[in-house]
Amino acid sequence: MLAYEYFYNGGGVAVGDINNDGLEDIFLVSNMNENKLYLNQGNMQFKDITKEACKDLAGRLGGWKTGVTMADVNGDGWLDIYVCYSGKVSDDMRRNQLFINQGNGTFKEEAAAYGLDDKSYSTQAAFFDYDNDGDLDMFLLNHSVKKIDNMELASHRDEVDELAGNKLYENQNGHFVDVSKKVGITQNPLTFGLGICIADVNKDGWQDVYVTNDYNEPDYLYINNGNGTFRNVADKSLRYMSQFSMGVDIADFNNDALPDIVTLDMLPEDNRRQKSLQLQENYESFSLMVNQGLNPQYMRNMLQLNNGIMSPASGNKGEATPTFSEIGQLAGISSTDWSWCPLFADYDNDGYKDLFITNGYLRDYTNKDFLRYWGDYKIKKAMDREPVLLMDLVQVMPSTTLPNYIFRNNHNCTFTNEQKQWGMDKPVISSGAVYADLDNDGDLDLVINNINENAFVYMNTARETTKAGYLSLTLRYKKPNLFAFGTKVWVYNHGMVQYQEVNPTRGYLSCVTTKLHFGVDSASVIDSVKIMWPDRLVQVLTKVKANNLLTVNYEQPKPEPEPDDNPVYAAKPVFTPAANLFTYKHTDYSENDFKRQLLMLFMYSKTGPVIARGDVNKDGLEDLFVSGDKNRPGKIYIQNTRGSFYEEPGSVIGDENTSSIAAATFIDANGDGYADLYVAKGGYSLFEPNTPALQDELYINDGKGQLKVSTGLLPDVSASSKSCVRPCDFDGDGDIDLFVGGRVVPGRYPTAPTSYLLVNDGKGHFSISSTPFDHIGMVTDAQWIDLDKDGRKDLVLCGEFMPITVFMNTPSGFIDKTSTYFSSMPKGFWFNLTVADIDGDGNDDIIAGNLGLNSCIHVSEKEPGELYYADFDNNGSIDPFFNFYIQGVSYPFVSRDELNDQIYPMRKKFTSYAAYAQATMKDIFSKEELDKAGKLSVTETRTLLLLNRNGKLVPADLPMQAQFSAVTNVIADDFNADGKKDLLLLGNRSDNRLKIGSINSNYGCLLTGDGKGNFNYVSQPLSGLCIKGDVKSATEIKVNNTKYIVVGICNEALQFYKVQ
Amino acid sequence: MKPCNFIKCSNMSKLRIYQALIVFLVCVPQPGQAQKSDAAFTRYLQPATFSLSKIMMHDVVSPPVASRYYAYCILGAYEIVSQHDNTIPSLDAFITQYKRNTIATDKNSYDYRIASVYCILETGRLMLPSGYMLAEDEKKFITDLQKNKIPRKLIDSSVAVATYVAADIVNYSKNDRYGKLSAQLRYTPLKGDEYWYPTPPAYMEAVEPNWKTIRPLMIDSCSQFVSLPPVTFSKDSSSNFYKLAKEVYDVSIHPSQEQLRIASFWDCNPFAVATSGHMSIGFKKISPGGHWMNITGIAAEKAKLSFASYITAETIVGITLMDAFISCWDEKYRTNRIRPETYINRYIDIKWQPLLQTPPLPEYTSGHSVISTAAAEVLTYYLGDQLSFTDNSEELFEIPPRTFPSFRVAAAEAAISRLYGGIHYRDAIENGARQGKQLAAFVITKLQAAGIKPMDNPQLAADNRKP
Repeated sequence: MLAYEYFYNGGGVAVGDINNDGLEDIFLVSNMNENKLYLNQGNMQFKDITKEACKDLAGRLGGWKTGVTMADVNGDGWLDIYVCYSGKVSDDMRRNQLFINQGNGTFKEEAAAYGLDDKSYSTQAAFFDYDNDGDLDMFLLNHSVKKIDNMELASHRDEVDELAGNKLYENQNGHFVDVSKKVGITQNPLTFGLGICIADVNKDGWQDVYVTNDYNEPDYLYINNGNGTFRNVADKSLRYMSQFSMGVDIADFNNDALPDIVTLDMLPEDNRRQKSLQLQENYESFSLMVNQGLNPQYMRNMLQLNNGIMSPASGNKGEATPTFSEIGQLAGISSTDWSWCPLFADYDNDGYKDLFITNGYLRDYTNKDFLRYWGDYKIKKAMDREPVLLMDLVQVMPSTTLPNYIFRNNHNCTFTNEQKQWGMDKPVISSGAVYADLDNDGDLDLVINNINENAFVYMNTARETTKAGYLSLTLRYKKPNLFAFGTKVWVYNHGMVQYQEVNPTRGYLSCVTTKLHFGVDSASVIDSVKIMWPDRLVQVLTKVKANNLLTVNYEQPKPEPEPDDNPVYAAKPVFTPAANLFTYKHTDYSENDFKRQLLMLFMYSKTGPVIARGDVNKDGLEDLFVSGDKNRPGKIYIQNTRGSFYEEPGSVIGDENTSSIAAATFIDANGDGYADLYVAKGGYSLFEPNTPALQDELYINDGKGQLKVSTGLLPDVSASSKSCVRPCDFDGDGDIDLFVGGRVVPGRYPTAPTSYLLVNDGKGHFSISSTPFDHIGMVTDAQWIDLDKDGRKDLVLCGEFMPITVFMNTPSGFIDKTSTYFSSMPKGFWFNLTVADIDGDGNDDIIAGNLGLNSCIHVSEKEPGELYYADFDNNGSIDPFFNFYIQGVSYPFVSRDELNDQIYPMRKKFTSYAAYAQATMKDIFSKEELDKAGKLSVTETRTLLLLNRNGKLVPADLPMQAQFSAVTNVIADDFNADGKKDLLLLGNRSDNRLKIGSINSNYGCLLTGDGKGNFNYVSQPLSGLCIKGDVKSATEIKVNNTKYIVVGICNEALQFYKVQ
Repeated sequence: MKPCNFIKCSNMSKLRIYQALIVFLVCVPQPGQAQKSDAAFTRYLQPATFSLSKIMMHDVVSPPVASRYYAYCILGAYEIVSQHDNTIPSLDAFITQYKRNTIATDKNSYDYRIASVYCILETGRLMLPSGYMLAEDEKKFITDLQKNKIPRKLIDSSVAVATYVAADIVNYSKNDRYGKLSAQLRYTPLKGDEYWYPTPPAYMEAVEPNWKTIRPLMIDSCSQFVSLPPVTFSKDSSSNFYKLAKEVYDVSIHPSQEQLRIASFWDCNPFAVATSGHMSIGFKKISPGGHWMNITGIAAEKAKLSFASYITAETIVGITLMDAFISCWDEKYRTNRIRPETYINRYIDIKWQPLLQTPPLPEYTSGHSVISTAAAEVLTYYLGDQLSFTDNSEELFEIPPRTFPSFRVAAAEAAISRLYGGIHYRDAIENGARQGKQLAAFVITKLQAAGIKPMDNPQLAADNRKP
């Protein structure tokens, strides 16, 4: 491995019926020793026929074999075997081999004759028909053998490396020709291709290719342009990807007939191993990666849920590029340690695809103690005058022998780990793997290639122990593609659809069965099976008997070509992108708040753009305020009668170079009948509390629609950064008062900031009135609602590490009545509160936006997240330590390097990564220190609907899609004109700690309501929304009797959508 | 004394100990005998300092931080010596904000040299992150003393004195604002083509961007010796800056063997990362400050300095190094200049890699140029310009020794080595050396005023006392 980096990457396995007897045979690759071909003799009996089949099958002596695939390359109806070679050996030792099935139990190696004896450093090959001309072409996945550390690689990207770059071979009458250059695939020396999978991800009838890349090079999602070329859409379709991507699988796991993608990486599940891998987070390195076009990449498994293609009505100019929402953490499959082969398949036959993952590494040198060990070792050896032994180095690296993972699909985008229950708990170092029904009993078995250990064959006992049924399809197409590669099948069963394609090369280095296996649970008859053959003609079978090994032959079906099977494509979406009512692109400062306080979880600087709606010139038309950025101040946009907007030149709001606008609202402050503008200052940057940077401003309307800043009307409210301003005549004296929420004290997170109740004297002079919520916590939002219907609006607050808190507005003041309204009030991150009568019962309900379930922070009442904070080392800065539970124990989030950087004396306490790896707060600080420290907790990260029922606010579930991302803005309205309130959830946060990464899998989540408090998720194509980025503000606005929504996105252009 | 392999050392020392022992038993210590007795203790000094270096290598301590540890660890030893001998000026005569705390123990009941050596180790044990490892070295020292029949009572009282002074020094160190570094703003590279950005392979964060806030020991402020301004940045191939970068590039294309040797000799990178696939390993070396502390020991032994003079030499070098790093780091983070590697990759040759791994800090001025020149000037003041020496500090890292006719020649070589190594432009080297020289001149003036005088003809003295 010191000589050849991929020494420990393992070998592949292929399964297929090589003698057409209905039984699946197995080919196992050995890197250095002999490959093996096993003939399936039935009843789980296998015979080693390697020598008799062909002596070359064992592999070239001295060669290094990697991946294997099976395909009918010469189109004669018999499966051939293609074996890939790599390794730092001579060119000829690396020539790949093609074993042509002679039809009589023997094979002949003929790669050269077919033009496929490629000498690249090959990982795997996939056969597929890329140009839809009926024959199988081949994509060869290769890898470089020299990692380039320099990330400023612009000129490397245009190079062509003949041995490391991937290749596309076109089948031209049985001979394969390298057409890589003309098809547009990347062939530079930066590719470290480890995984490949073929699928039609945009359902346009042309096969697409996903290629993973280890190290800094991003993965490629090649969409087939249908004209013999591909385009890589990874940066458009994916928000981020696995960093050290290994294997990949593409399959529809949530049964919406759209293929989803899973890629594997190296993140361990347990705290101890995670801590031993963690160094300091490096923001500059990450930023360089992004700036060099390498995409954001994080080290964990990624589950990319296919959102589908937007319809032409959505402004999709026929590009047919799908978007994906990454939900691996929500799904619970993100951390399986050094992982290789993912395989989606219905292992328990309940109709939903489960997920199997192989993992393990022979020599684990990612351990950070090891990084430093080598230096000490060398010095010690020099001092002892002993030679350095490479084997000493190798032996110090431990083996990571872990059980492989198997996850059961819970039918709701989440998975449950079933390692123990399903018998997958034997620790082993595994690499390639496949599934197939080896004993033809109707459930899928697994064959796993292990390192320095026998291969495992796991027999599935589902059929023996459960009643769940299946349907197995063997598809026979026409020559030369008799095995029907590229065929698509939909199984419709009891209102559910399952979707699969015949593309057996998937996972890692391996090739699964060509048969399609569907679990059908308890059905005895399946409603229908729709088959779309490679020529796009469709064959439908109805009332198909379950528990059946069915062979379907291609029949010339009635000519009903379906150009695409996406029924939603033609439908009219709820929202359509509108032409800009006015143009504004927000330009962000690239600030990093973690440079000021290393251990916060999120940044607070990125507050803009802020939008507020009001009628500034009293013409009955709604106008907008949009805050500024580094290039310009905030502006007012006045709506004219023609439905367009113009910038009001005299109104200059704020200066983002000296302060940051965090919230704004129009109010008639001085009671003169004209809308004034209150602007709350917030952010973080380098602002200091009690300085002008944090002083709010009141802009008074001059009666002609111009807003001018006034002085002397506001008291000093500069003690903290603010988050929100909510107007209300809380004391019923006829003028508008304000609640201004304190968000954070810059530089002193998480000490409680100051929130204000500003009382209006009727003429626009405000004064601070002391309340019990002045220092309630880090408030993110508030709403005035008359909960007890006594005519006085009450104040509902939410905030970071706070419960949703209810303050009753009584004549004698505000009283905390949270416990009256909630039987249990969870503490969340709570970014937003929106009020609407969801169930039409006349009572206001609340939607509370939260962090969601798609992050590494998983908390509950029983296992809360806890933040301890104090100036533990008395150096003038607050040291906040966030802890959450991993596998039943609460561990600090902070890594050893971060701890040592925050509190220098800790360097003496934990002298190695191993020493720190299992430390809890009690090991880091003494009981006295912890008792004296401040403590905050969080027990809920889900966005919640709180229904106002019988004097209580009762949490109600929302669809799982609501938890895909942080929800920062919610608009409640009847968007689909069915008379019932719907919800539009917007959000995303990318300004988080690197270890948390971007939480941005929300593209605009539309939930339609049934009027009773239940909601349904509307798919992106049907909603018409494709909002990428961090949404900081959103509002509805009426223009020419049409409803629009305006969305403010950090560092992006404003987006406008028309509501149908 | 060779800087490694303790087995060999103790073998040699056994012989010396017997000699010393005989002297001790037979004679009452007399001034004429002092040199010989001193030698019995000076031989512990290099190993003690090297023990600190070992811990710092283990902990991957950055160069400026290392200089701080060396300085404090030697200050206590010096203070013990100066309290023993009132011809040797106290620290409070020249060290900022230092207040002497008199050792209460009777001078005759402890050996100031034992206390001094132990103090070096004890201060390190208290201050260094993995300082606990030095408990082992302390034990070994005591055992060695006992083997040489030094009375337990004497050892114990000397250790007590050392412990007292070490704690005092640590107390003193607590006010230099090191503890406040963790509360300060972390570094963000400035926006602009001319500014420093992290470099491959590991893109490590900038090291100690706030080091200028540390209280210096002798100079008045971190910006007292602001360097001449650097050559103006330009991408234009006819510009002076381009020429500077091109010089670095050209030198690297056809380096002579000697240039390669010189570059390696003065690499002094505490942590160079080598990658192979997913594996990263760190190659450790002694820091520039550690290298010069070792040179000081080599020179002190060559010149056969008395114990007190040896300690004085180490002390004035240690102080100079610490202040020089503060001054240099102030300049680095004022100018934030782009490294040759980054500039050359962007504008001359994308594939170019320097011979040495570019340290994770802005380029101007060159650390080695500043601190080596400063250390050499101070050593020249104390020991003269004629003291030649063979520097084997890098032998541990398989780099053969080099012989220098004087400290200044060594420092000049250390400075230019950075050009050969591909990590500095010439102006950073020349102006850095100038900066170091000015700083040293200031230090020397203060030392003189405090009463630290140069040794008389140390080379001659060395020649006269050849064994």
